[in-house]
Amino acid sequence: MKLCKKILLPVFLVCCILLSGCPDGNQPSAATLEEIPAYSGSPYVILADNEPDFSPEDMVTDSFESYSPLDLLGRCGVAVANIGVDLMPVEDRESISDVTPSGWVNREYDGQYLYNRCHLIGFQLTGENANEENLITGTRYMNVEGMLPFENLVADYVQETENHVLYRVTPIFEGSELVARGVQMEALSVEDGGEGVCFNVYVYNVQPGITIDYATGESWEEEQPPASGDSADDPGTSSEPDGNTTYILNTNSHKFHNTDCPGAANMSEKNKETYTGSRQDLIDQGYTPCGQCNP
Amino acid sequence: MSALWSNLATPRPRLQDGGVFVFQEDFFVIVIQCVDNRNGTLFHGRRQSRDRLLRLHILAALAGRKLWMNSYSFRQFQQDLPPGQAVCVDEDFLAKAGWGEVCFVEGLPLTPWLNRIEQLILYRWNRDYPADTVLDLRLDAISWVLKCREEFPGSSHPVITKEVYLHETL
Repeated sequence: MKLCKKILLPVFLVCCILLSGCPDGNQPSAATLEEIPAYSGSPYVILADNEPDFSPEDMVTDSFESYSPLDLLGRCGVAVANIGVDLMPVEDRESISDVTPSGWVNREYDGQYLYNRCHLIGFQLTGENANEENLITGTRYMNVEGMLPFENLVADYVQETENHVLYRVTPIFEGSELVARGVQMEALSVEDGGEGVCFNVYVYNVQPGITIDYATGESWEEEQPPASGDSADDPGTSSEPDGNTTYILNTNSHKFHNTDCPGAANMSEKNKETYTGSRQDLIDQGYTPCGQCNP
Repeated sequence: MSALWSNLATPRPRLQDGGVFVFQEDFFVIVIQCVDNRNGTLFHGRRQSRDRLLRLHILAALAGRKLWMNSYSFRQFQQDLPPGQAVCVDEDFLAKAGWGEVCFVEGLPLTPWLNRIEQLILYRWNRDYPADTVLDLRLDAISWVLKCREEFPGSSHPVITKEVYLHETL
């Protein structure tokens, strides 16, 4: 069933998209960079009062997914889907390293790669693996801090309700640049008319501390800001001379705590582990900071 | 699981001005709230997440206590309610809930009711979601004491963490 929809619905959707491209068509209005404020510390900004630009005719209860063909510069276009449980993956993710998205000039900073092969429609939503029409060059920050929370929100809603969510991700390029400046993410739950899920946001393709040449994908470190020394003054953390910090890990819930957090004290010993290293490394390993002690 | 709740079996005397002990039977509610990794609760006026097994967990832990919520929350609970479970649906439920009763809160400010909240039960999704409304209580304040923490699997969340805080200054 999913295969059939994968074959037929994209054809249908491409026809719709082509038709909607006519001047009098009903094309959704993708964000333009002129209306996007400069990045100022938040991974995303809200567009159009958070209301997505879907029409009533879009509100169908059949699942589908559709991806735009790469343009002449090898860049991805809009990806749209009606997410249902039947589209969601039932197998582990496969390698996507064979795909080289436009602008893929990856560099390592502090032991971490700048770029991820960033799914437009997240793997947890449609189970797409190495689909070049669904993978862009995106910073780790955009992927993890910006897009993932919205993907989590949609995935959990669909799993819990078995409803559908109309979902569109549009990479926004400036001119002929190879790396997107950001992505517009829109979602609307179908069966409940948006009561469950409704958003329209722009997520910045930036990495704090790094300057990106969006024309080519090249990057370099910004001038180092002066160290604030905050973490060294925090009594709840234990800082080593090399800048590493000691945290308490919960290997079951994958949260990390300051050493003096009450949550760490109450943790089952079998799940407890002491870790000394960088906070970012822990986050990259899938750990999340405790909401109580905010390490 | 609900052992702490039983601590509220009888109204506690409180010392009033003038050294007189009185029972304030309309005080001390128990508040339940779900939060993400950054203590977020809502985004664009909608809950960040939901979980069927969590709802069943909450209902089982009530042990007959009355549950208060607004109509938005009731829509996710109504299909799971066991026969005989007392539920009060009211948009002003934090003002109306009685002593020892349980309030399921989704994104409402709690600070105005600080002096009524004896226990805060947080359920952590252990996931990141977008949020424009966050829990408005400082749990690292000295008046909130974490009394217990437990983890259990949800229906779509691998691990949900329950934390019970007591408001010690009440």
